[in-house]
Amino acid sequence: MAAAAATATTKGNGGGSGRAGAGDSSGSRKKKGPGPVATAYLVIYNVVMTAGWLVIAVGLVRAYLAKGSYHSLYYSIEKPLKFFQTGALLEILHCAIGIVPSSVVLTSFQVMSRVFLIWAVTHSVKEVQSEDSVLLFVIAWTITEIIRYSFYTFSLLNHLPYIIKWARYTLFIVLYPMGVTGELLTIYAALPYVRQAGLYSISLPNKYNFSFDYHAFLILVMISYIPLSSTHGGLCPLTVMAVKIQCLPFYHMRLSSAEGSNVSLRLLLHCCHQSLDEKE
Amino acid sequence: MKHYEVEIRDAKTREKLCFLDKVEPQATISEIKTLFTKTHPQWYPARQSLRLDPKGKSLKDEDVLQKLPVGTTATLYFRDLGAQISWVTVFLTEYAGPLFIYLLFYFRVPFIYGRKYDFTSSRHTVVHLACMCHSFHYIKRLLETLFVHRFSHGTMPLRNIFKNCTYYWGFAAWMAYYINHPLYTPPTYGVQQVKLALAIFVICQLGNFSIHMALRDLRPAGSKTRKIPYPTKNPFTWLFLLVSCPNYTYEVGSWIGFAIMTQCVPVALFSLVGFTQMTIWAKGKHRSYLKEFRDYPPLRMPIIPFLL
Repeated sequence: MAAAAATATTKGNGGGSGRAGAGDSSGSRKKKGPGPVATAYLVIYNVVMTAGWLVIAVGLVRAYLAKGSYHSLYYSIEKPLKFFQTGALLEILHCAIGIVPSSVVLTSFQVMSRVFLIWAVTHSVKEVQSEDSVLLFVIAWTITEIIRYSFYTFSLLNHLPYIIKWARYTLFIVLYPMGVTGELLTIYAALPYVRQAGLYSISLPNKYNFSFDYHAFLILVMISYIPLSSTHGGLCPLTVMAVKIQCLPFYHMRLSSAEGSNVSLRLLLHCCHQSLDEKE
Repeated sequence: MKHYEVEIRDAKTREKLCFLDKVEPQATISEIKTLFTKTHPQWYPARQSLRLDPKGKSLKDEDVLQKLPVGTTATLYFRDLGAQISWVTVFLTEYAGPLFIYLLFYFRVPFIYGRKYDFTSSRHTVVHLACMCHSFHYIKRLLETLFVHRFSHGTMPLRNIFKNCTYYWGFAAWMAYYINHPLYTPPTYGVQQVKLALAIFVICQLGNFSIHMALRDLRPAGSKTRKIPYPTKNPFTWLFLLVSCPNYTYEVGSWIGFAIMTQCVPVALFSLVGFTQMTIWAKGKHRSYLKEFRDYPPLRMPIIPFLL
């Protein structure tokens, strides 16, 4: 979904910029990154989230092996999925207090749309929990989040393995459409049950003179995926390739001399800067 | 007498668009814009933003060339503000929409509430009263736009009108739908609630109008002189003693009255959104008053006495 890709881009900039800034501070102290306490907290947060999504991944694999079928795997990872996806709400707070230099509005949209899907759709409409589409977005989210949170962790520690960066910008091409498809199909599957039960709906007459049709709202949500995914979805494949190509020299140069290190730093900044431009 | 040379470049591409030689030192930015239009007619003065550096602030039309921090060859950066539309046109459009849209729901034209309700009338007195109040409010705004208000900046970008109209027209349709709905529920406390709300609405409308008249009389037509607004003999203007923008205070009060009268959630939301926006404007206005006038009355708050 849009949140995965855009968040990836946004947070990547945050981590990279923050670390780069910290690096510069030893020399000139002009740039401001997150302080040591904030950095330590962010490392812990990202490690916990990486571990959390790994738990979900392991849970999925074990459940699959135990059942011999991929149907209804949602029930084996329901609780940790809810916990760690809802825990991502903290990221809105991180942006709001400024320890992560990302847009509060953009981050809020990304996190809230996932929390919405988890609680207001999948949790609320029991009947869709056994749908294969749920598995589709859960797998996409799980892989994306493991990569994303480990990316942040290593960025904050100023040591980013190439494999993580490669995975970050390459697997997205498959995972993003996979996640969006799963999300849309899940909402679609929920529609008849929502209409039938009048779930979360308010009808007239009432003393507030107001009504709300959750069924119609969900249809609007589905429709909104079209423009939102194209404007906030962030990277299109060509840009992904461009960024990847930009980052290749960085990998090689990282292994070379001190002068190479300076070049690497500038390339890293360039990549982050370019990502920022893409976001705008 | 020394003459200036003015070079105008595109703020984005830095491309040189125009070179004016022998420009008078006393020339204003407005005059330079007019000269620029001669070579680039598609960019009429109102849509030009000229600044000293590519991302700087727009220079004011009345700024004088020789008082700017430039040498005898000045470089100005141009940005196109897009097609411009006059404020009067903007406001007439914004306010006519809600007036007519609301009436469509009031008269229950087809396709809104179901065939059996087409062109029927609500059985609740408060619904008719609400329609009168809503219509009065927007007719008042339209008339004020034509006969009361004076606008200092001549125009605004055309694209803004779509956003503004979506807001005004959308909310009008939303509240009208529920107030005029066949299943509308009258206020909980009945006639007493309606009377109280009507009183609030009328008082605030009179107050709003009084402030608009006071602001208009503050400066002669065509003038850009700025003064501190003070209370007049009209009691409704006495709110100036406590508030910088009492027109906004009264405006919010009107909508609160309307919300109480109709007991309708969309109206309450519209009041809340409007209050938020007007608070932002009021704070900006208040700040500029403080900056401009050293003797500005210290007791005043932007929009709510003593609080906000």
